[in-house]
Amino acid sequence: MKRPRKIFRWRAVGPLLFFGLVLVVLYLVFADRIAQHETEATLSEALGTEVDLASLRIRETDAAVDLAGLQIADPRNPNRNLLEAGTITIDLDPVPLAEKKIVIDDLRLSGLRFLTARKTPARPADPNSPAGKLLRETEQWAKDKFDFPKLALGRIDSARSLVLNPDQLATVKAAKSLIGTVDSTRVAFERGLADLQVRPLVDSSTALAARLAQSDPKQLGVAGVKAALDDARQAIDRIKQARVKLAVLDTTARKSFGILQQGLQDVDAARQRDYTFARGLLQLPSFDAPNIGAALFGTPSIDYFQQALYYARILQRYVPPGLQPWNRPGPARVRMAGTSVEFPKEKAYPRFLLRKGEVDLAAGAALEHHFKASFGGITSQPELYGRPATLAASGRLAGERPIGIEFALMSRHFGKAPKDSLVAAVEGVSLPAIAFPGLPFEVDPGRSRVGFRFNLAGDRIDGSWEVASDQVTWHADSSRLRTASLVEGIIWKVVTGLTQLRVRAELGGTVSNPTLKVSSNLDEAIAVRLRGLVGEELAKGEQRARDAVDSLVGQQVAALQARVSDLQAQALQRLPLEKSQLDEVQKKLETELKRLAGSAAGGLKLPKL
Amino acid sequence: MLTVIKLLQSLFRTLHSEGSPRQVAAGIMLGAGIGLTPLLSAHNLVLFAAIVLLNVSFGGGMLGMALFTPLGFLLDPLFDRVGLALLEVMGLRGLWTDWYNIPLLPYTNFNNSVTLGSFVVWVVAAVPIYFLAKRGLTHYRATYGERVLNSRFMKGLKASKAYNVYSWFVPQ
Repeated sequence: MKRPRKIFRWRAVGPLLFFGLVLVVLYLVFADRIAQHETEATLSEALGTEVDLASLRIRETDAAVDLAGLQIADPRNPNRNLLEAGTITIDLDPVPLAEKKIVIDDLRLSGLRFLTARKTPARPADPNSPAGKLLRETEQWAKDKFDFPKLALGRIDSARSLVLNPDQLATVKAAKSLIGTVDSTRVAFERGLADLQVRPLVDSSTALAARLAQSDPKQLGVAGVKAALDDARQAIDRIKQARVKLAVLDTTARKSFGILQQGLQDVDAARQRDYTFARGLLQLPSFDAPNIGAALFGTPSIDYFQQALYYARILQRYVPPGLQPWNRPGPARVRMAGTSVEFPKEKAYPRFLLRKGEVDLAAGAALEHHFKASFGGITSQPELYGRPATLAASGRLAGERPIGIEFALMSRHFGKAPKDSLVAAVEGVSLPAIAFPGLPFEVDPGRSRVGFRFNLAGDRIDGSWEVASDQVTWHADSSRLRTASLVEGIIWKVVTGLTQLRVRAELGGTVSNPTLKVSSNLDEAIAVRLRGLVGEELAKGEQRARDAVDSLVGQQVAALQARVSDLQAQALQRLPLEKSQLDEVQKKLETELKRLAGSAAGGLKLPKL
Repeated sequence: MLTVIKLLQSLFRTLHSEGSPRQVAAGIMLGAGIGLTPLLSAHNLVLFAAIVLLNVSFGGGMLGMALFTPLGFLLDPLFDRVGLALLEVMGLRGLWTDWYNIPLLPYTNFNNSVTLGSFVVWVVAAVPIYFLAKRGLTHYRATYGERVLNSRFMKGLKASKAYNVYSWFVPQ
């Protein structure tokens, strides 16, 4: 007799349960360590710098995690930490964990320290990681987009030959780009106008008005008058619709012209940069006050803006707007990582959300601090959360030298206009010495007031960096100062007597075409002394540099300006003309409509005018 | 060493006597699922539980895993392409979005291109793997099986005491 075939192996249930128990034990033994390693790896990759944790403990029963000894290294200086936190307590919402999502109800940081020295240098970021690439890109951006004039020069040679290649000039690139925009604007405007079919509408309506004018209501009869009234009413409706469309086209065109005007300003800014570039090829120092400010403080100021741009781009990369599926690199493992796609859904939890957090400085030795910091709304899918991420801190850190801090950060990555902005003001902070490129001395600002503001909205950037100090000291490299050039010697004489320092740098324009204006209280004093010394020779050289640039780009820019003006004038003439034609024919039709309606009163139901 | 001996015992016993070719082939088929897909995914727990609880050859499962794991590494670029293509199909976006937001399902890592691609390839290849394994095993037992069974190596291996635990999973 055939034995019935068994499907299940019931006696294996015991070993399987034992296997499950082994997994639980392994989890209890290794989960904290694995989570700590994963947290370090994930944060390191996201921030593009080494992140260390002394310990991590998961409290399963409380749905909470305790972290200690967090260190985030400075990606640009491996010997210091940007931030250290003594303890971090994270309270999790347990429900989203079932969907593999992390929602933090509350996060508390204590024992915060900034810009501390590291015991061991941080590992450099993986150059191929997204953050590593962004760091390189922003460093390259600062090098490519800003060329600060030099002051450390010897003899001025205004007779030096100057050969420029058009490909080197930013004006040529900006103009080429704008020509494309002008052409597409013209095509869009022409197409929009052609689509309206104003001419045929005016012609047919004029013919209808003429026909109605010659008609006699008595001869047309009731039915004829009704048909004529319907024709007139329909024609008037078409005219009204065309007028609305014309108004929309007018608004669109005006917006486009605004963009073109901004483009012309960018071309002009590029031309100014080309003058600086040409002056650099002639190795001419610039003794205009703004250029002296840029020469002295351009590099340190752009350093701050570059860092802000780097972190804003990290935010843009990891916090995309919208609810589209989003591809991320898969988890690091022995097998190929592949790509993990996120599928956000409305009214569902985002993959990561930090609802609110606060920094507690009242603990430990910091009882005298009067400092509050809170943050919240930090999420990987802001469109789902619908509120911007914010971080605000204000107060006073006590100690021998108290430091006042005001800090606000806002990141809005949803809606039509994503924006990241940062405002910070620190008072009483000891700034590191600022070295001047190529000059044999540096300034130690001492305890200073520092203000910083940065906004990134789409491609538009703007920001400012300010330093004010009343106790600066100047330090020179005595050996280099002995062999210093005339210019260097003059600058040194001017600055050594100064104890005040006021610097302001303003960033503007777009990421692709940024502008930077730097001014300081040293500029005018140095400029006057230097101009008196070498002004005439310098003016000749500068004129040669400008002439060289203008000879290559002058005609191109003039033609571009003419094209923009021509398009704008043409559009601004045509649109009112089209509108007046529509108004005129509508008036005629309404006159005929009233005449026909009046004559037929009593026998006809009159249309509403 | 003990583990290696255990695995070798498992392999030879599987090939020679334990379980019908169907049971061994089914075990190989399920083991191939674990081998082809990245190990740390929740669906592999289900596959492992199936190998243990269903009346298939456990040794076959281990054999399938051992054979298909290196193949999985080799085919990862293919899995990545297949998986990404599936994840980016517009018609399936609603399905993936629903699955992504269902509790526990995201732990299968189905939204990872390599995991999804390898799983789908395994599902498609499962039936051919089963029949090929069954046919291969039947052929082996009919031709080389007896000779290998009587070899000195096999006798030495069988004399080892380490396979007691393994016998719990021998198909009936």
